[in-house]
Amino acid sequence: MWRYVWKRILMLLPVLFGVSLISFSLLHLVPGDPAEILAGEEANPEFIKALRQEYGLDQPLYLQYFHFLSHIVRGDFGISIRNREPVINLLKERFLFTVQLSFISILIAGLIGLLAGIISSTKQYSLFDHISMLGALLGISMPIFWFGLLLMLVFSVYLRWFPAGGTGTIFHLILPAIALGASGSAVIARMTRASMLEVIRQDYIRTARANGLREFIVIHKHALKNAMIPVVTVFGLEFGYMLGGAVLTETVFSLPGIGRLMVEGIFQRDYPIVQGAMLLVATTFVLVNLLTDIAYAFFDPKIRYE
Amino acid sequence: MKRFFSGSLIIFCFLLIILPTSSEGKVYGGTVIYAAGADPDRLDPANAESNPAEAVNRMMYENLVKFDEKLRIVPGLATSWEQAKDGLTWTFHLRKGVKFHDGTPFNAEAVRVFIERMIGPEKPSRAGLYVPFVKSVEVVDDYTIKINLKTPFAFFLNNLAHSASGIVSPTALKTYGKDIARRACGTGPFKFVEWIHGDHLTMVRNDDYWGGKPYLDKIIVKTVKEDSARVMMLQSGDAHLIVRIPAEDIPRLEKDAKIKLDSTETLRTLYIGINCSKKPFTDVRVRQALNYAVDKEAIVQSIYQGRALVASGIVAPLATGYFPVKGYPYDPEKAKKLLAEAGYPKGFKAKLWSPHGRYPKDFELAQAVQQQLKKVGVDCTLDTMEWAAYLAATRKPVKENESELFLLGWAPSTAEARWILYPLYTTEQWVPQGNNRSFFSNKEFDELVNKFTRATNKTEMDKYLKEAQELLVKEAPSIFLLVTKETIGYSQKLKGVINSPLELTYFDHQTYLEK
Repeated sequence: MWRYVWKRILMLLPVLFGVSLISFSLLHLVPGDPAEILAGEEANPEFIKALRQEYGLDQPLYLQYFHFLSHIVRGDFGISIRNREPVINLLKERFLFTVQLSFISILIAGLIGLLAGIISSTKQYSLFDHISMLGALLGISMPIFWFGLLLMLVFSVYLRWFPAGGTGTIFHLILPAIALGASGSAVIARMTRASMLEVIRQDYIRTARANGLREFIVIHKHALKNAMIPVVTVFGLEFGYMLGGAVLTETVFSLPGIGRLMVEGIFQRDYPIVQGAMLLVATTFVLVNLLTDIAYAFFDPKIRYE
Repeated sequence: MKRFFSGSLIIFCFLLIILPTSSEGKVYGGTVIYAAGADPDRLDPANAESNPAEAVNRMMYENLVKFDEKLRIVPGLATSWEQAKDGLTWTFHLRKGVKFHDGTPFNAEAVRVFIERMIGPEKPSRAGLYVPFVKSVEVVDDYTIKINLKTPFAFFLNNLAHSASGIVSPTALKTYGKDIARRACGTGPFKFVEWIHGDHLTMVRNDDYWGGKPYLDKIIVKTVKEDSARVMMLQSGDAHLIVRIPAEDIPRLEKDAKIKLDSTETLRTLYIGINCSKKPFTDVRVRQALNYAVDKEAIVQSIYQGRALVASGIVAPLATGYFPVKGYPYDPEKAKKLLAEAGYPKGFKAKLWSPHGRYPKDFELAQAVQQQLKKVGVDCTLDTMEWAAYLAATRKPVKENESELFLLGWAPSTAEARWILYPLYTTEQWVPQGNNRSFFSNKEFDELVNKFTRATNKTEMDKYLKEAQELLVKEAPSIFLLVTKETIGYSQKLKGVINSPLELTYFDHQTYLEK
C-alpha cells in the first residue's frame, strides 16, 4: 500500500513538469505585456523596459523557463509583478481560503447528494424521487453565476440573513458554499441513485432480504457500501474541482480564493502568480485523485494496491 | 433649585463627554466600508498605476500641492510657492509640524528624497512626470525647497498634484525600498493597517494629522469585482459606498431613499483612434467624414441614458487648458460628400476594434459607431480582444501595426491638456515609444504643443493651447465621441465623500458617518 502511495506521489514530478511547461508556454504565447497592462494606456516605455529587466522578461524564453524551474525546485515562487507580494504568501492566503470553502461546499454537496440519492433509489418513482431528481436537474443546469446572484438577492438584500459577499465570519461562507455545492450535490445525488438502483437489484441483496435482515441494514450496510465506488469517484472529482478554485463563485461573492487569483493573474499577465497557482492546483488535483483511489480499497476490499 | 442646577450641570457635562458630536454637527467615529471594483496594484504612489491604488493612496499620502474639487491647484504640504521669472526655478515653502505615520518629520529633506527618487536611477513607473523637466533639487532650509527645471514647464504644479507625487516617508523608503508597494507610509489623514490581496485593505485614522483629527475611525476598502454584487452590498448595507455603478442599476438605486447617487463628469474622453498611416485614412477628408458620420448625441442618449457628454475635441471640458472647439455635428450628407471628394463615393471596407468591458458600455458604443458608419458607406468588421492583447496590438510599431479604427479612452491623470495632446498626437510619441497609436504626425501641431509647454506667461500659453486644440479638430486624427461620467452610490449617512473628476473616490479628515 505505502509503496503504491509513494509511487503515485513520485508520479507527481513528471505531471508537474508537464504542467509547468504547458502553462509557461501558453502564458508567453498569448500577446500582452505585464508592464504595459500595469501601466495601462499611459504606459511609459522607460518603465516597461526597467520592469522587463527586473523580471528577466527581456531574456530568451528557454532561459526564463530555466530560471523559473531552478527557483521553483528551491521553493522560490518569485514575487508578483502587479503588487510585489511574494507569490508564496498569496498562494498560502488564497489556498487556505479555498480549502475552507471547498470543505463546507463538499460537505453540503455530499450530505444533500447522498441523502437524496439513497432515498430516491429506495423509493423509486415516488413523489420524493421525482422532486429530488428534478432538483438535481436544476442543480446541474443552473448557471452558478446566476444562482449566486439570486441567493444574494434573496438572502442578503431582502431577508438580510447573510452578508452579500466578502469574508470575515463563517456566515460569509454559507451562501457561496451553497452556490458552489449545488451542482456537486446534484451530480452526487444522481450518481448515488443510479449506482444504488443497480446494486439493489443484485442477487446478494435479495439473499440478504430473504435472510430476514432489516431493510435499514440491507440498504446501509450491504447495498450502500458496494454502490459507493462510482460515487466516491464523482465525490473526488467534485472536490478536486472545488479546490482548484471556483472562479465564478469567488467572483460573485468577492471571495479571495485561488481561482480568482489565477484568472486575474492571467488577465494581468502576472506570470509568477499564474505559474505558481497552476502548480499548486495541479498538485492538489493529483493528491485528491490519489486519496480517491485509496478510498476505493476501503469500500471494496477486493481492490488492493500492491 | 440649587440642586436642580448642579444636577443639570453634571448631566450636561456627562452628555458632552459621551456624545461624540463636534461643534459643526459632524460626528466622530465609525467604520466605513468602501467597495471598489478592483484590487489596488501598489501602495507606492510613484509606482501605482491603477485607480483603486490611487484612491487609497490619496487617503494615506499627501502632495506638495493638491487639486480641489474643480481641479484647481491648492496648497497641500506646501503652504505657498513662487516661480522664478525665467520659469526655471520653483520655490516651495513647506508646512511645519507635519509628521509621517512612522514619526519621521516632514521637511525639505523628505521632499528632496522624493524628487531625487523620481529623477534618479530607480525609474519608478511614474518617473515620466519628472525626468523630462526636472534638473535638480536644493534644500534651502528645513522648510524651504527649490526645484530647478530643465526648461520652463507650464503644468509643473499639476504634476506635483498627481497621485504619483504623494510623498513617502524617507525612513520607510530606506527600510522597505521597493517593497513600500505593499505597505504605505505617508502624512495623510489615514494610516495603513493591513492589505489582504484581493479581499480588503484597512486604514485607521491618523490622530496626529496636521489638519485635525479625522472624523472616521476606520476605512475598509473591499475588492468586489462583480458589478451587481457591489450594488447588492450597498442595498443590503454591507457597504457604505460603491463605485462604478452600471447604468442599468441606476434607476433602481435612485428609488432607494437610503442611498445617494453622485454622478461626476470625468476627464475621460472616449474616441475612435484612426490609423493615419494607412490608406484611406491618410486623407484628412476621410477622417473628417468619419467624424461627421457619427451621431454622438444619439449615442449619449440611447446607450448612456444621458450620463455622458458629447465631446467636440479630445480635451475634456474639466481639464486645465481646455478651450471650447467647434466639433463635428452629425451630418451624414456632408460625410458622404467628403468621402466622394476623397475618391470613395461608394465608401470602403475597414476594421474596427474595441475592448469589451474596459470602459463603460465600450462594446455597445463600438457597435453603434459601426452601424452609423455603415450608413455613409464605410463598412466595418467589428472585432474585440481581451484588454492585454488589445493594448499589445495597438501598441505595435507602425510597420507591423494592423489597426485601422480602434476604440480607446484617455483621461489625463495630471488633469491638464498637455498630457492629452502630447502623448496621443505628437510625432515623437508614436507607439511603441509613446502613446500616439494613431501615427498622427503634423509639424505645426508638434510645434504648438512644444510652445505651450514651454510658455512662461499665461496669455501666450492659452493662445497656443487654443490653436493646438483647433488644429487637432480640423485634422481629425480620431473620431471624438464623448466624455464619460462616473456614478458612485453611498449611504445617506456618509457625508463629505470626494468624487473627483479624476475617477477617484476617497475620503479626507472631514468625511464623517452619521449615527
